Amino acid sequence: MLRRYSRLLGVQLRASSLLAMQYRGDFLLEGVISLFWTFTAMVPLLVVYGERQAIAGWSFGEALLVVGWFTLLQGVLEGAITPSLNGVVEHIRKGTLDFVLLKPADAQFLVSTTRFEPWRSTNVLTGVAIFVYSFHLLGRGPSIPGLLASVVLLGTSTLLLYSMWILTVSAAFFVVKVDNLTYFFQSIFDAARWPSSVFKGPLAFVFTFLIPLALMTTFPAEAMLGRLPLRALVAAVVGSIVFAFISRRVWLRSIGHYTSAGG
Amino acid sequence: MSLRNTVRAFPSLLRVGFSEALAYRAELLVWVLSTTMPFIMMALWTAVARDEPIGPYNAEGFVGYFLATFVVRQLTGAWAAWQINYEVRQGTLAMRLLRPISPLWAYAAENLGAVPMRVMVAVPVAIFSVLVVGEQAVPREWWGWPLLLVTLLGGWLITFLANVCIGTMALFMESSNHVMDVWLVLFFILSGYMFPVSLGPPWLSALVDWLPFRYQIGLPVEVMTGRHELPETLLLLARQWIWVLVLGTLAVTLWRRGLRRFAAYGG
Amino acid sequence: MISVRGLRKHYKVHKRPPGLKAAFRSLFHREYTTVKAVDGISFEIRAGERVGFLGPNGAGKTTTLKVLSGLLHPSEGEVRVDGHVPRHREEAFLKKIMLVMGQKQQLLWDLPPAETFELNRAIYDVPQAQFKQTVDELVALLELEELIQKPSRQLSLGERMKCELAAALIHRPRVLFLDEPTIGLDVSMQVTMRSFIKAYTERHGATLILTSHYMDDVAALCPRIVVIDKGALSYDGGLDALVQRVRPEKRVMFRLEQPVEAARLTSLGRVVSHEPGSAVLQVPPEAVSATISRALSSLPVTDLTVENAPLEEVMSELFAENKARRASVAGEVGS
Repeated sequence: MLRRYSRLLGVQLRASSLLAMQYRGDFLLEGVISLFWTFTAMVPLLVVYGERQAIAGWSFGEALLVVGWFTLLQGVLEGAITPSLNGVVEHIRKGTLDFVLLKPADAQFLVSTTRFEPWRSTNVLTGVAIFVYSFHLLGRGPSIPGLLASVVLLGTSTLLLYSMWILTVSAAFFVVKVDNLTYFFQSIFDAARWPSSVFKGPLAFVFTFLIPLALMTTFPAEAMLGRLPLRALVAAVVGSIVFAFISRRVWLRSIGHYTSAGG
Repeated sequence: MSLRNTVRAFPSLLRVGFSEALAYRAELLVWVLSTTMPFIMMALWTAVARDEPIGPYNAEGFVGYFLATFVVRQLTGAWAAWQINYEVRQGTLAMRLLRPISPLWAYAAENLGAVPMRVMVAVPVAIFSVLVVGEQAVPREWWGWPLLLVTLLGGWLITFLANVCIGTMALFMESSNHVMDVWLVLFFILSGYMFPVSLGPPWLSALVDWLPFRYQIGLPVEVMTGRHELPETLLLLARQWIWVLVLGTLAVTLWRRGLRRFAAYGG
Repeated sequence: MISVRGLRKHYKVHKRPPGLKAAFRSLFHREYTTVKAVDGISFEIRAGERVGFLGPNGAGKTTTLKVLSGLLHPSEGEVRVDGHVPRHREEAFLKKIMLVMGQKQQLLWDLPPAETFELNRAIYDVPQAQFKQTVDELVALLELEELIQKPSRQLSLGERMKCELAAALIHRPRVLFLDEPTIGLDVSMQVTMRSFIKAYTERHGATLILTSHYMDDVAALCPRIVVIDKGALSYDGGLDALVQRVRPEKRVMFRLEQPVEAARLTSLGRVVSHEPGSAVLQVPPEAVSATISRALSSLPVTDLTVENAPLEEVMSELFAENKARRASVAGEVGS
């Protein structure tokens, strides 16, 4: 079964690459605009640090690490997750989700692997470039165990983002006409651009447990700086697995609702 | 297309725009919930100003500023650029052109039609702001209120007309959605949406005064929080409405040229 | 092969009245109505049979097809397809069926149909050799050579439907569900589709359920028809038998050498149409030969044909009958 699904994944990747080559002008342009946005969004950071040396315990170089992780994850999000899941909302709207449900393969897998945009890897490269620059500013390198931990956290963050998207898309089964979910998702994700200690009180609770943005960008940055406690790493791994499990259940429930309520 | 015809028809267009907004209230709610930037910025800037104020803003001032930003953003939003792009691509623009009223009025009515529902969201936030921040949240002088309405209208017009200008580019090129994306990026940075315009380096503030973005959000927010004295407010208001005129002329010119081309090439 | 007993599908739909006040009220108090899409249907279909589902719009045909393919759960009733319970959506079951919906498509839009074929091969786990054989057969039967390498969006509607059909048959399903497959196609393409479907089902012994508004589809493909009207089964049997029951009168079409006055025609039978060069009469079946001989002797006839009443009219009359019957039942219940 694993072999079958990996073969399926291969076929889907090939179809996406063909599409990416065909529309490369479009995709490249979107990638460029995304980068433009990344850099211009740093302007407030520059303004803030023009006034102060440290914000909520983070120096400029350290805060830049968070921005780097944000950019990297944004590349993963917009390259591997959003394109496919946007397709689900389209399917529901056009009534073609039925075709997906007719296939003898897991619907969530099929729907999540429909489309990849390889050109968004420019974001990933930019993120890495930002890391290099930040450490140059900080005058030292990342701690090696920290670096390994941050790679693990890349995996947990991706899993978290994916699960969040599955939850959002499951909502589309109930509220069919909502087709600006991408924008909504991105607007929430924007909060991950800043170190999570900036958020205090109820917002801190929301962004740590409900929409775990803190885990996604702040934790990896702290890991690279060598100051992430082990238990935080464990919590991130466990938390993301639990979140993925919950989102899977919600997805299955939503599909069940779709098939019994008439699609 | 006589002006009198348009004036007579506009109230019905508005009513239709409002009904459509009502029918799409779920979408409207998602759009409103997507306006997260003011709150994120509020968290950031209050963290910055926690110990001491930055320029004329202390922590409370930032709260008032960004709550006002949220309110103004709700009341001055427009999406005509996407509409025009969509209709050109789907071919439905041709059907609008069959009517004796310029589609621009229809777009304006549809965009305005969402305002009442957005007011329902904006007013509670404004009240909350007053409760939390006190009198810094709203105009303190009597002239602040009417001028606030004027500047809100100006802000809406600039947003709408800029949308139309960019949207009409779809009549010349394949899709102008990317141009709109670039405009939005610049808007976020240069309008006072992410930080008050007075806080940047001096060259930035000077640049921003000449561009239209500041007059979309920054100015209405500053009038709402009573940041300027009367003479300065009037001066800034004048600049805003100059931009309204400039963009209005540009929009109409581009639209006419675009339609000629559209008709020639069959869209 | 297919067994349906007492199938019912009800939806609870909440009423959405227009206006601002009603919108507010609906936030607190939702009013629901029950829509009975399918209200008690039973039938059996043997392997290899070709059955047409007929009925007015909204009658429940598509709902029934969706239940049979596992896309919808029935509210009540027992459904079995080749021993499987559709709503369990077992992998083995899904590999045996296919559903083509005329107004919706599964072809990848920006890529050539060949890519969709490849994708389906991977999804349905079709062995390479069988895949090649199937594709060759489909390409030959449907004349697809030049089409399958062009992006789907560049194909015309008819070409796309052919490719849709081919993509749905990659895995050699044993049960075919076709929901309005010829809608919007021109006449020659409809004929092509019909002959292909017939050839395919005969060659592979597949079972077919077809819904269509084009009576010619059904007449050409389905010896047996099931009529569904307002969620209930109205008729199940042969097409000819239905026509006999509902509108047994025959249509006699005359080609005339010269114009004829109406009076001469009305004496022969009910006049359906009367043109200078032709006339159509509706005649009870037992009177057909007598009418024909009288017409041949009294009218300047150059050609004549005898046909059943057009199926469209037969169906409308059947639905009108049903409607009247429902109204009278409701009237009795009411009083």
